[in-house]
Formats: sequence, C-alpha cells, structure tokens
Amino acid sequence: MRKVFLPRDMAELWSAMADEPAARVYAGGTDLLVAMRAGTVVAPALICLERLAELQGVREEGEEIWLGAATTHAALLSNPLVGRHLPLLVQALRTLGSPPIRNMGTIGGNICTASPAGDTLPPLYVLAAEVELQSPGGRRRLPLRDFIAGPGQTRLETGEILTGVRVRKPVDANCHRFEKIGQRQALACCIVSMAALLTVTPAGVVASIRLAWGSVGPTVMEAPAAEAALTGSFMTRENLHRAAVFVRQAVAPIDDIRASAAYRREVAGNLLLRLLPG
Amino acid sequence: MTTRPPKIGRDFLRPDAPAKAAGVEKYAVDHYGENLLWAGVRRAGVPHGLIRRVDAAAARSLPGVRAVLTGGDVPGTNRQGIVHKDQPVLCDAKVRYAGDPVALVLAADRETLRRALALIEVDIAPLPGVFTIDDALNHDAPRLHEDHPGGNALLQATIEAGDGAKALAECDVVVTETFTVPIQAHAFLETENGIARREEDGRIVIIVSTQAPFRDRWEVSHALGLPMDGIRVIAPYLGGGFGGKDGATVQCLLALAAMHADGRWVKMWWDREESFQAGYKRHAARLHYHLGAKADGTLHALHCRVYYDTGAYAHLGGEVMALGMEHAGGPYRIPHTRIEGWCLYTNNPVAGAMRGFGVMQVSFAFESMMDILAARLRLDPLEIRRKNALRVGDRNSAGVLMTSSTGIGACLDAIADHPLWKDRAVWKAAAGPNKRRGVGLAAVFNAMGYGRGLPDTAVAKLEITPTGRFVVYSGVADMGQGNATAFVQIAGAALNQEEGMIDLVQPDTDRTLPSGSAAASRTTYTYGNALIRACQDMRRRILGRASMLLLVDRLEDLGLLPGRVRHPATGREIPLAMLAATLTTPERFCVYQYLMPVVPDPPATGKAFKIGFPHLLFSYGCHLALVEADELTGETTVRDYLAVTEAGRILNPQTSVQQVQGAIAQGIGYALHEDLQVEGGIVQTDDLGKYIIPTALDLPDIRAVFAQAYEETGPFGMKGLGEVASNGPLPAIANALADAGAARIFRSPLTPERVLASLQQGPGM
Amino acid sequence: MTVQFNLNGRRIALDVDPDRRAVDILREELGLTGTKEGCGAGECGACTILVDGVNRLSCLMLAAQLSGREITTIEGLSREGGTHPLPEAFVKHGAVQCGFCTPGMILGAAALLQENPAPTRDEIRRGISGNLCRCTGYQKIVDAVAEAARAIQEGEPSS
Ligand SMILES: Cc1cc2nc3c(=O)[nH]c(=O)nc-3n(C[C@H](O)[C@H](O)[C@H](O)COP(=O)(O)OP(=O)(O)OC[C@H]3O[C@@H](n4cnc5c(N)ncnc54)[C@H](O)[C@@H]3O)c2cc1C
Ligand code: FES
Ligand code: FES
Repeated sequence: MRKVFLPRDMAELWSAMADEPAARVYAGGTDLLVAMRAGTVVAPALICLERLAELQGVREEGEEIWLGAATTHAALLSNPLVGRHLPLLVQALRTLGSPPIRNMGTIGGNICTASPAGDTLPPLYVLAAEVELQSPGGRRRLPLRDFIAGPGQTRLETGEILTGVRVRKPVDANCHRFEKIGQRQALACCIVSMAALLTVTPAGVVASIRLAWGSVGPTVMEAPAAEAALTGSFMTRENLHRAAVFVRQAVAPIDDIRASAAYRREVAGNLLLRLLPG
Repeated sequence: MTTRPPKIGRDFLRPDAPAKAAGVEKYAVDHYGENLLWAGVRRAGVPHGLIRRVDAAAARSLPGVRAVLTGGDVPGTNRQGIVHKDQPVLCDAKVRYAGDPVALVLAADRETLRRALALIEVDIAPLPGVFTIDDALNHDAPRLHEDHPGGNALLQATIEAGDGAKALAECDVVVTETFTVPIQAHAFLETENGIARREEDGRIVIIVSTQAPFRDRWEVSHALGLPMDGIRVIAPYLGGGFGGKDGATVQCLLALAAMHADGRWVKMWWDREESFQAGYKRHAARLHYHLGAKADGTLHALHCRVYYDTGAYAHLGGEVMALGMEHAGGPYRIPHTRIEGWCLYTNNPVAGAMRGFGVMQVSFAFESMMDILAARLRLDPLEIRRKNALRVGDRNSAGVLMTSSTGIGACLDAIADHPLWKDRAVWKAAAGPNKRRGVGLAAVFNAMGYGRGLPDTAVAKLEITPTGRFVVYSGVADMGQGNATAFVQIAGAALNQEEGMIDLVQPDTDRTLPSGSAAASRTTYTYGNALIRACQDMRRRILGRASMLLLVDRLEDLGLLPGRVRHPATGREIPLAMLAATLTTPERFCVYQYLMPVVPDPPATGKAFKIGFPHLLFSYGCHLALVEADELTGETTVRDYLAVTEAGRILNPQTSVQQVQGAIAQGIGYALHEDLQVEGGIVQTDDLGKYIIPTALDLPDIRAVFAQAYEETGPFGMKGLGEVASNGPLPAIANALADAGAARIFRSPLTPERVLASLQQGPGM
Repeated sequence: MTVQFNLNGRRIALDVDPDRRAVDILREELGLTGTKEGCGAGECGACTILVDGVNRLSCLMLAAQLSGREITTIEGLSREGGTHPLPEAFVKHGAVQCGFCTPGMILGAAALLQENPAPTRDEIRRGISGNLCRCTGYQKIVDAVAEAARAIQEGEPSS
C-alpha cells in the first residue's frame, strides 16, 4: 500500500513533500496513473494536487493571463477569459482526449508530461508562455521552451512544482489556428499538429506569424525560416506551398505505430495550406 | 413493458435492456464470491521456442500465493481446440506465440498475483520465427507443429466449378490484382473472464463470458481429463463477443485453478493488454485475384489464391478460410472458378472466429475487383453488379445451386432507386476546398449456419410453471446480438402470451440444452425454429388439458389467449395458472430439437473441407458509402452510409437495425483504422489507445433498410443478419476513394497515410 | 485509511487502502458492479462515474480522491430525486446491445445534459466521444440521448 496525500493548501503540500521526498505529485492522474499501471513509473507515495486552490483557475493580470497548473482542460474550456483571449488554446483543448479526460486532465499535467504529442504545447509555444515554478525555497519563472528539456523531460527540480502558466494576450493576432491530425476524431493521440498565430493586414499581407508543430520532433518544433518566408507576403496558396518546404526541412519526425516520419513531415508542411481563408 | 403479446415484424423492445441500463445485469465479470482467489497466467513473451525451465520457486514463496502450476500439472491431454486439439492449456515443451501460457498462478489478491507472475522465471530457447505468409510458405521454415502432416499449412484446399481457371482464356478482359488485409481484434468491452469453483461433490462450476458453453464443457473435459457431467458451465449475458469468445479462453485455465483452490471461487479476468496479446483475432490475409468477363460485363471466370494467417494454433482457422473461399466470388454468377486457399500457421496471435468469418477479407477483394472491371469496361458499377447478381436457380461461385431466398438483386434495385445514388454527382461536386468526394458500392453476402458436415442443431426447452408462466431455456449465449430478445418475441407470438409472462434462462449446461455456439448468424434461426415447434407442442398440451377441464372435445374449438384458454363458443375460460397447477412435472416441459437443412447434393469440390462447406442459406446486402478525403492530410470521413439488407423476413426491425449498424461500425473501423500490428510475433497495438476503434465522432448516421423477403425454412421467414453487414464497408469505402480520384488502394486499413499517397498519385485503374 | 464520501445520496465511510482504484472500491468493496472496467487506462469510459456531477473515470482515480465527494454510479442515477429519463430512453431507442458500455455511456450523457440541456446530434456525439461502444455504432445512443433531452426540457417549466 502506498500513501496518498491530498493536501488542501501549500503548507500541507510542502509538509507532505518533506515527509515523502520520493513521492510523485499528480493532478488529474491521466498520465501518471496510466504510466504506473504500465509499470513505466514507480512511486512509493503519491501527492494529489487536485484540491489546491492556489493551483486552480484563470486570472487576468494586466497584459497577461495566468492559468493555474491544476486547472482541468474542461475548466479552461468553459472559462470566459480563455475563450476571449486564447482561442488558439481553446481549439487545441477541444481536441485533447475526450470529455472525461478533459474533466480530469490538467494543463500543468500536460506540460509536465512534456510529450511531443502534448496538445497544449504548440499553442503555448506560439503564445510564448512562461511557467511558474514553486518550492519551499521560493518561486521562479521560465519560458516554457526552456522548461521543456526533451521528450518526457522538464527542468522541474526536486521539491518543486508547477503552479501556473502565464501568457501575454495576443492582442494583435487576428488569425488563431490549431490543426491536429490523429487516428480518429476523439481519443486521438496527435500524429501531427500545428499551432499558428497570425496578424494579417486587411490587404491580405502577413504582418506577423508564429508557428509551432507537435509530434514531429523530440519536443515542439518551430520553423523560423517558414515564418520569415511568410512575413510580409500575401497569404496565397503559392506562398504557403513555398513556406511548407521550409517546414519540412525544420521538423524531425520519427516512424512509429501511428504514422511514418515521411507522412508526418509531408503533412506538417501541408497543414500550412489550411491557413488559406475560405 | 408491452401489455399485448409481441407481434412478429414489429419493434419489440429488448427485455434485457432495462437491467443493463440500470447497471444491475450481472455479467460473468460481475461475479466475485467470498474468499475469492485470483488466477492469472504467465505468458511466454517470446513467439517461438523450447521451454528449458520454468522456475516458480520465488513466486511460490510469496505470501498470499496459493499455487503455481505449469504444464506438468495439467491432468488429461492438456490440449484444447475446436477442430484440432493442438493448443496446450499450459505449454509443456514448446511455445508457439508470445501469448502462450506457461504458468498459472492462484493468489489471494490481484496485487500478489501481479507480483507472483513477475517473479516466475521462464527460460525459453528461442527458435526462428514464422511471422508472415511468405515465411510460412517457405518449405525450409521451422515447423510450428512437427506432427502436422501439412507442415505449416494447417489446411490447403481448392474449390473448383465449371472449367476452372482455364476459362480465363475465353474472357474478353481479365483483371489481376493482389489485396492485403490486416489482423482485426474483436475489442469487446468485457475482456475474457470467468470465475470457477469446485463444489463439494467434486463438480466444477464455471461462470464465464462465452459464446459456446456446451462446447466449453467438452473442451475442459478433454483437456483436463474430467468427466463431462463433472463440469457445469454457465453463460450470463456477454459484454460483447463477435466471435472472440467462441472457443476456450479462460475456461480450461479456470477449471484447472479450481482443482487447486479447495472449493474457493477463483476469478480470472484478462486485462485489456492481455486480451490484445492472447485473445483470438480475425485472420490477416493476402488475396490474389484474376477476374475475367465478357465485353458486355458478364462475369465468366475467376481464379484466386487466398492465404490466411491463422497464427499459432488451428482453432477455427481452416473453417474460417473455408467460408472465405466459399464467398470468394461474391454474390455473383460466375460459371468457371478456381479458388485455392492456404491457411497457414505462424508465430502470430491465434486467429479464429470473428463476425464476417473469413468473408470480410475476400469481400474487399471481390468488390474492389468488380469496380476495377467496371472501370476497365466503362460500365456503371451498379449495372455490372445487377447484371451478374445471383438469382434463385443460379449456381454460385462455389458451384452450389441457389434454391432459397436470394435477394441480392432486390438490394441492388433499392440502391438504384435511392436519392443518395441518383444524386451522387451533385453531392460529389459540392466538396469543399482541399476535399475530394467519392461514392462507392459493395454487394456482399454471408452464409448462415455451420455448413455441411457439422450438424447445425439446437434443442429448445420450454416450461409452463405451476403458476402458469412460461420459461424459455436458451441454450445459445446472448453476446449482445439480441437472440434472447428474439426468443421471448417468438415464444410470445407463438403462444399468444404477453412478454411479462415469459422468463428467459440464459445458457447453463445443467438447466438448458445443447444448442450450439452463438455464431454463424445461426442463433435465432436454429434455436428459433426449435422454439417455435416447442411452442406448438406446448400449445397443444395446454389446449389438451383445457379440453379435459372444459369438456370440449375438439382442440380447434379452443383458443390460447394471454394468461388463459377460452372456449369462444360458450365464453368459458380457464386461467393458465389454474390449468398449469393440474400438470405434472413432465407435462410442464416441451423439448424440441431442430436441425438446419443443408445443401442436398454438394458439388464435388472442396474435398479438403471436412466440415463447414458448402452452405445452403445466405443473407445479402448492398452498401453505399459517401466518402470525403482531405487532400492535405489523407484523412477520410464517411459522410453518409446506406445499407440495404436481405435477410428474409425482419422479425424485429429495431434489433435488426442494431445488428446492421453495429456491423457497419465495426466494418468502418476495419476499413479506416483497425490494424493489430505484430512485430516479430509481439503485438504492438495492445491497448485501446493504440488499437483504434471508432468513437461516436468517427461514424456517420447509418441508413439501414431491408429488402423484404421470406425464407421458407426460417422461423417466421427470417434468416440470420448478424454478420452480413460487416462485409460491406471496406470495399464500399475503398471504391468510394477510387471514385474520388485516388489511386486504388490494395492494402487496408485505408489510413490517412495511404490515402494521401494515393490521392497524390491520382486516378488509375 | 478511512474515506468518507456521499455515494448515491448516502453518506458512507470506508476503511480502505488509499491507493486502490476507485473502480475497485465500487465493484469489490461496495458490490456496485454497474461500474464496468473495459481498459483500466482511460481509453474506454466504461468506468465512468459522476464526481460532484462531473463525469470522471474511476479507473484513473484513487480511493483517497473519493473523500468528501458526491459520487453517483449508475445504480444511483436519478434526477431531482426521481428517475432519470436516460435509461428508459436507452431501452426505448434500442441503444443497448451487449450493454457493457451502457452504464458509463448513460452517466457520460447525464453529465452532458446537465451542462447542455439541448444538445444537437453533433454535440451529443462529442459529449459521448470518451465512451467507446463496440456494438451499436452509436446512432441509437444518440437518438436516446436526444429523446431524454427533450423529455427533460418538456418536463421543466419553460423559463
Ligand atoms: C485516454 C487518454 C487520452 C489522452 N489524450 C490526450 C490528447 O489527446 N492530447 C494530450 O495532449 N494528452 C492526452 N492525454 C494525456 C493527458 O490526459 C494529458 O497530458 C493531461 O493534460 C495530463 O494532465 P493530468 O493532470 O492528468 O496529469 P497527471 O497524470 O496528474 O500528471 C502528469 C505528469 O505531470 C506531473 N505533474 C502534474 N501536475 C504537476 C504540477 N502541478 N507540478 C509538477 N508536476 C506535475 C506528474 O508528476 C506527472 O509526471 C490522454 C490521456 C489519456 C488517458
Ligand atoms: S476502464 Fe476506465 S476508461 Fe476504460
Ligand atoms: S452495447 Fe456493447 S459495447 Fe456498447
């Protein structure tokens, strides 16, 4: 039998972590308990973060939105601030897992799992998110792209937890697009995804663009060359095709049971075409 | 609850549904028991090898472990198998696939069981593996079963009709192609499980999720050397079966465990991964086709060679292939055929029965071939099918004369008249940006019953209780297909009684009578025929007793009404409760055995099939799939789907639509997603996140309609329809993709990756 | 560890190992076998229960997490104290075949209707997309949920 802690405030959390330094924290358990069942993670004790008010909810803080790490995907989806300011994240969350998975899984869990297929990650990358980390010793902030160290790896330190994510409101963007290819329409692990945040002038010229791809490399992949190629040009089929070539050069997918590397590479580029209006 | 007797041909709500929807129906898996022991299996983990040592010392010494058994502990033959007894309960010398069981553990709880299984050390000297059809065909390949005379060919067979393959030379056009289909998993939600105990009198009781309780008893008896009457098998409602619970899964292991449990209940419940690794599967297959026709589209000759990967043990492999071969020419008149088949042992998971038993594989091939041929001859795909569709009096491609209801023509006509077909050009033209649309047809059929050589029989047992209620003792399991519903409906209609007066006993080898397996689209037909006759006997018996009580000297003058017998001429009545109280026990029971008719003069071909060839009765279907493919990603969506089915008279529209929609759902899964990937004998897609079945968002609304017909031999004119609809989706969708301008795909499933490549390649033949 | 919670409207206290799965507690300790297990890994939805009215998966919840919650299993599903229209609609529309997915499906649908009392067919499909059914092809389930939604709406005074 393992101990399971259910801390109600940060003091209880830190004391549980001090009592059981080898304990694993979890929030929704939709990654951790699955991994424990498979035997790929072994934990002598567990600390469940679901009841920590400090890790819950969404706040508007000036130019920024703060998302509590233990906020479930469903709670984010029904949150008006998220709906208003982060449509890109909303689109991604709608494709994540299934209704019960979204009722349980959290954004913090998705980030800490650091899967290349994590669906919130490409949107958070293009939104230049920062993570907030806390330990009894203090707090720190880190750009998400620095926090994610590799597939399944983060720079979370022992005794530290993720408390929240911060993003700047993308006030200038007028096109928010998340595209995901899975093996089916729900309960689909990502084969390739793309998050795009654009500002397009009324004349149809790309003023600025941020792009990121999921499941086509060890972590979220970016393609600065494609962004550069598109910036300042018209959103035409030809231009997108041209930029897609840079995308296919930038990504580094692998073969697995779901799809081949070649397919992922091809489609990572093709997804740009979905940006064409109409 | 209806208050009037059920009517044949009208919706009749399933009597099993309320308890299931309330969560109170007890499936096998819902049985626990005081002081329960948990049993589990240590599996080989390597696909082929010789067992050097199984060291269970550490496991045995773990507190809470009750027993660890290995091959040497199995009494009896230690062999199970429906047709060939080649599958060990616990392997003694050799393992032939990674899921082969090498040790059985009994433990006090699940956690101890898990730890004990991990502590068993298994030392297996690996042998080279046979993993593909080509491996198995190689004469130098290691043999899985040294004593099998055919080498790695479990069965090699030929069906020939007319002049055979020679007639291809007389054709104006011959198309030649090869098709490949993957392994499909049943993926029922209730995984293989059961619970067993040795009673004080020494008998073993097994409550198990099974499609064949009576055969299970025989399997256990043979494998463990127990007397048949020392075993009782009880089959509650199943949480899905689809063929995967037709054959021993946990049965022999549980009985063996019960022999070592001192009268305690023992439970075995495979987890999802174990079900994928060790459960039975649908055969992967490779199909080589040459189809020849006259210039006007009249089919003239077919030559095909089909290869079925049957995995490590025979199970029903030969019979599955036999049925595939019998259907290899489609529901068409092809005068000259040669159909050759090889059913091959490999070190892959064991393949066996699955809905569309062998037929789903060949349906992909023959219905793709029909479209390829139509395109070559510039004929309309519907017209070429109508031109060649089987009619009564024709011989099918196995040379069997069609003598009973043969409704493929009516199904095709219904499609031709349907707006989805007539307006297809408009629909196709409305595809959005980066989308392509296509419309595809498939005409399919599926035999019913076991076929020649294996009597397809059922024994109905019907009781009137001393209080005047009726009890139907069903000998065939209900895995969800609704045969129990049909039995209540049939009994209610035949006895003119309200549903509420009829109780149903699910299969139990002590209480119900042998009625065969829940398989082969046969359950309602065979048991229903027996039941109707048992009801007729019962009616005569009731009226006979009433005649004595009411002093009426002609049975025709009496009427059996709900709950009573009436003499209309005088208005006198006697309640059944009163009448039944006067019956002695033997009088209260009616038993009737029905035997399905068979092809009276089978053609002189297919001699290699000892059982299961040929078949007399078939159900038919024609499907239309409206499909949209994404040019950027290759994702394929079925936008609309029409299925016309001919299965004799439709007794219960609601449950019939259930069967059709469910079969198509599995068929669409098979077409688009499902692919049990095995690498070097190890299942790669061993959970429901990797083995992809459709969710509610992956399926369209399915229009299921019926071409009404009447099968003279069927109960109230019906034929089985549990399987036929599974055969349509893969070819219909593949044909739709080709119609959308994609290069034809010869390998399923039709994944986005394959579809994208074929869209890029563009139209071909 | 003693875990206290409300189960189907009744307060209960159980002495159990805190790291056992909620699905096992319900089935094995409490005999509530209407909660099914089809995968143990979040992929099938057969183990769905309502936790404070929200559909969650009892195979991915530990006993400790039940503490203080309002748990509803299929055996306790009701609406405002009366019967819930969903089970009856499932029966009437032929949404039950083998029935093994049914309890989880009904609870998932109940949570959907709580959140969205008048869902479209597409919204129903989305709402039950975490509950796999291998038998029905879902169409009759969608019919049943749509009918239950109508029944609830008609039963309620219009606002
Ligand atoms: C059936 C199924 C389908 C899924 N589908 C998708 C999908 O489509 N897309 C997708 O992206 N994911 C999917 N997932 C994965 C998973 O649901 C998500 O990653 C989810 O967001 C994880 O959140 P959680 O709270 O459940 O994580 P948990 O399992 O609770 O935790 C995950 C990891 O993060 C750590 N952790 C969690 N919270 C914190 C914290 N605050 N501080 C420090 N460490 C923390 C844990 O220690 C653990 O290592 C699926 C999972 C399942 C079971
Ligand atoms: S058993 Fe919980 S989701 Fe499958
Ligand atoms: S009714 Fe069988 S799984 Fe849904």
